[in-house]
Amino acid sequence: MNNDAVVQISDLRKEYSDSTALDGVSLTVRAGEAVAVMGPSGSGKSTLLNMIAGLDRPTSGSVVVHGTDLGSLNETGLALFRRRGIGMIFQFFNLLDDLSALDNVALAAQLTGTPAGQARRRALELFGELGIENRKNVYPARLSGGERQRVAVARALMNRPALLLADEPTGALDSRSGEQVMDLLLDLNQIGQTLLLVTHDERLATRCASRVIEVVDGRIEREQSLERTQEKAL
Amino acid sequence: MTAVWSAAWAAVRRRMLQTIVIGVVVCASTATLVMALGLLESAAAPFDRAFATQRGAHLTAAFDPAKVSEDQLRSGQTESAGPFLQSTLDTSTGEVFMGTLTVAGRADPGGSVDRLSVWRGRWATAPGEIVLNRVPGGEGRTDVGFEITAAGRPKLTVVGFAHSVTGSADAWVTPDQVKALQPTALQMLYRFQKAATAAEVAEGQQTVTAGLPEGALLGTLSHLTVRDKATSELGVFIPFLMIFGVLGLVVAVLIVANVVSGAVVAGFRHIGVLKALGFTPGQVMAVYLVMVSIPAVAGCVLGTVAGNVFAKPVVQDAVEGFGVTELSFAPWVNAVALLGMPALVISAALVPALRARGLPAARAISAGITTHTGRALRIQRWLSGTRLPRSVSLGLGVPFARAGRSALTLASVVLGVMTVTLAAGVTMSVAAYDDAVRPSYTDRVEVLAGRPPGMPVMRTPETGEPPAATLSDSDDEKMLRSLPGTNAVMAVSQLETEVAGGTQDAMIFFYRGDTGALGPRVLTGHWPDGPGQVVAPSRFLNQRGLGVGDTITVQAGENRTELKIVGVVLTNNEDQIFADWTALDVLAPGTRAHSYQVRFTPGTDRQTFTAAIAAGDPGLRVLPPRDGSSSTAVILISAATVLTLVLGAVAALGVFNTVVLNARERRRDLGMLKSIGMTPRQVTVMLVTSMGALGVVGGLVGVPVGVVVHQLVVPAMAHAGQADAVDILMNVYHAPALVLLALAGVVIAVLGALVPSRGAARLSIATVLHNE
Ligand SMILES: Nc1ncnc2c1ncn2[C@@H]1O[C@H](COP(=O)(O)OP(=O)(O)O)[C@@H](O)[C@H]1O
Ligand SMILES: [Mg+2]
Repeated sequence: MNNDAVVQISDLRKEYSDSTALDGVSLTVRAGEAVAVMGPSGSGKSTLLNMIAGLDRPTSGSVVVHGTDLGSLNETGLALFRRRGIGMIFQFFNLLDDLSALDNVALAAQLTGTPAGQARRRALELFGELGIENRKNVYPARLSGGERQRVAVARALMNRPALLLADEPTGALDSRSGEQVMDLLLDLNQIGQTLLLVTHDERLATRCASRVIEVVDGRIEREQSLERTQEKAL
Repeated sequence: MTAVWSAAWAAVRRRMLQTIVIGVVVCASTATLVMALGLLESAAAPFDRAFATQRGAHLTAAFDPAKVSEDQLRSGQTESAGPFLQSTLDTSTGEVFMGTLTVAGRADPGGSVDRLSVWRGRWATAPGEIVLNRVPGGEGRTDVGFEITAAGRPKLTVVGFAHSVTGSADAWVTPDQVKALQPTALQMLYRFQKAATAAEVAEGQQTVTAGLPEGALLGTLSHLTVRDKATSELGVFIPFLMIFGVLGLVVAVLIVANVVSGAVVAGFRHIGVLKALGFTPGQVMAVYLVMVSIPAVAGCVLGTVAGNVFAKPVVQDAVEGFGVTELSFAPWVNAVALLGMPALVISAALVPALRARGLPAARAISAGITTHTGRALRIQRWLSGTRLPRSVSLGLGVPFARAGRSALTLASVVLGVMTVTLAAGVTMSVAAYDDAVRPSYTDRVEVLAGRPPGMPVMRTPETGEPPAATLSDSDDEKMLRSLPGTNAVMAVSQLETEVAGGTQDAMIFFYRGDTGALGPRVLTGHWPDGPGQVVAPSRFLNQRGLGVGDTITVQAGENRTELKIVGVVLTNNEDQIFADWTALDVLAPGTRAHSYQVRFTPGTDRQTFTAAIAAGDPGLRVLPPRDGSSSTAVILISAATVLTLVLGAVAALGVFNTVVLNARERRRDLGMLKSIGMTPRQVTVMLVTSMGALGVVGGLVGVPVGVVVHQLVVPAMAHAGQADAVDILMNVYHAPALVLLALAGVVIAVLGALVPSRGAARLSIATVLHNE
């Protein structure tokens, strides 16, 4: 397994006009790791993920992903970085309502210049792997929550990103669908996908993650390595 | 397909309705503008082209052969053709009636000025031959070989047809032949170095007449006058179409701005997702721009085609006169439409698209952000304290939550009301003008007494019997005055005369009796009260470059007389002028009235009255009341109606769009309101009220703006049509009409809001919650 650091965060702070979302966070994520971030609502978990994805800029501190300091990129640079390097999954799926399930997934590949036909073929492969081929032409509004999340996972994986970010991916799902998505992420990690996962779900954290980080009030309170990995934290 | 295109195309399909709205609006305004620009261009273009090819005369002048010799006329430095002897032929007694023809003796159709195009037959080369001036494809006989006869003149055979853009003569014969036709004038055709303005033409005239004896010049005709006349028919439409095209354009811009900013606001999450996926800010902006470009470009292309197609029948008629058979607008007109319109529409989308571009991704993705400004909340709180039904007070608060969108919607309602107001005003003006110049009175009869000199016999449609009064002129008038019910009588006679300079004949109407009650309306000056006076409509004056106080020389048969213009009357015929009976006694002594206008008191039965006239003089014929409007009036009124409906519908679509956006954004609020017991009807009332309020304000603002624009457009139309913007055209709005027009705002708003409001009201809570 690869020991390179995929994410390197040091002393990250993020202040909003009326609150401090992150208050000096440092964190390293290595290739092939599955890190679970836990913590009460409003503690800054989503903010942390947004910083890593380059969706928002820190007030201070630095985020280095794959050796690239995100602070050195402009908006366009960040977009290009996200396009190939990051896959994101959200609690509320965030599929584009305008596009069919398949086109939602294909869009990610089209962004990198893949022709539409080829993008669809690759998307279809992923649909097959995720067991949702029969839903490919359905629009998001008609999909169940579990199906939507699997489409979202497919979309995140489309460009084979080095880092998969998941923000409470099972938070809006019933337990059975949540279970399926959980298995999916576990499988992905086992074939080497680096994963950073925000969750409330203790079970999900312990099943998927090699390391659990607990964030409270914008600070890392606790960090714990789990059995299933031989790696040592920090 | 690129990712941008995929995302944009998906957005287009999802917003099919709004896409269609944009497409329709852009199409309608493009078509109107293309027509306006096209007419602007082609109104004059065929004339200018023909004038250039024919080297038309800048000035056509008639000289008195008794006062100036041919050599004197020939000696000038100015480029010219002539002198040609000129005569008039009265064809009224002949087989073929052609009115009074001005005939010039001309050896050949070429030359350096007024090069005639002989388009059928050949030029006159021998005595007894005549060539007629007729536009190719124009009305009337265009077969060669028929004969023209005039009393006391040799028979002439038509050997060809030629066309003079300048209108230098009605017909041509050989120079030898014209000498046998008792010529009365010498015609000179001039081209000047500079002749673009009236002043330059006048200067040229100064030069060519300098040194000639006093009174040698009988009259002149400027090419500018001829051009104005040639273009006036289309000219009326231009200001009208321009204003409607611009209105359409503004509405299109408003709606596009509203649709795109709505899409951006409603699509916050959408934008966040795009960015999270790795769309660059530029690409995000491109998605929103492409989204409107698709309908904008499609609408624009369709609109350009439609503009070309619809303008054709209107323009074709007018340009045929110049031998143009295949009409196409100048390329620049279509280029402006095809490039300019989309550019404008897309720039309207630019501001909201830039906003999408700059939106921070993290904020966008955390969705559900509804901006309730403090002011909106305060207003809502205040409204809830009023005694209005809750659904109404909630509705009234809606516009304040999205002030920008409400302002854009309000603007499109204002424009809609303004358009309706303007179109109604134009319609009323056109109808008023039409009625003034072509009155169809219910309280008078027109009685024929005989054949006017120089005119073919008029027959009444019923009997087919030509009128032949049995009583004398004065006895007829006495008889008509004595009938029970008569309250005014005016005797009419007419004389076709030639106004010196040019070929435009003028019909002089001579009135006797109650001219104040029955004659045309005097706009300025006064009704003729002596033999040497005449009044004319402004078209007559404008086309000949004359004004009140000027003197014209008219020739009727052997008699020539000078008449002073003492007033302007409201009639539409540029070839009719009006004089007092005393003038007739000079020009054609002893002529009797050939018709009478008789007005009867209200309550008199037309049938009985007509019978009484027939009993008084069995030779008189009563004409049936005339009806029908001019074709220009009909086209203008129907165009105004169509454009009003289109722009009114477009404004309603703007409201529609806003309600769709508001409802989509407030889906959760609506679901919540319904979950606490609001009925679908109350939801509908709430949303319709929100727009009804804008409709009221739109009506109050739109009506005065429409009235102001009417006061600007109507004079422009009148000017282009060479008529006067008189008070009956301007003062068309009355209080009840204004109130109704103000209601148009409410109608537009309510109609636009109803469908989407009901749609939103019917949306099931489960669906709303499922989608959130
Ligand atoms: N775009 C934003 N603007 C202002 N405050 C924000 C924004 N995003 C998050 N916050 C604030 O930052 C804090 C952390 O939020 P978040 O990272 O979403 O928490 P979590 O995901 O752990 O529930 C909260 O107090 C939240 O209100
Ligand atoms: Mg969160």
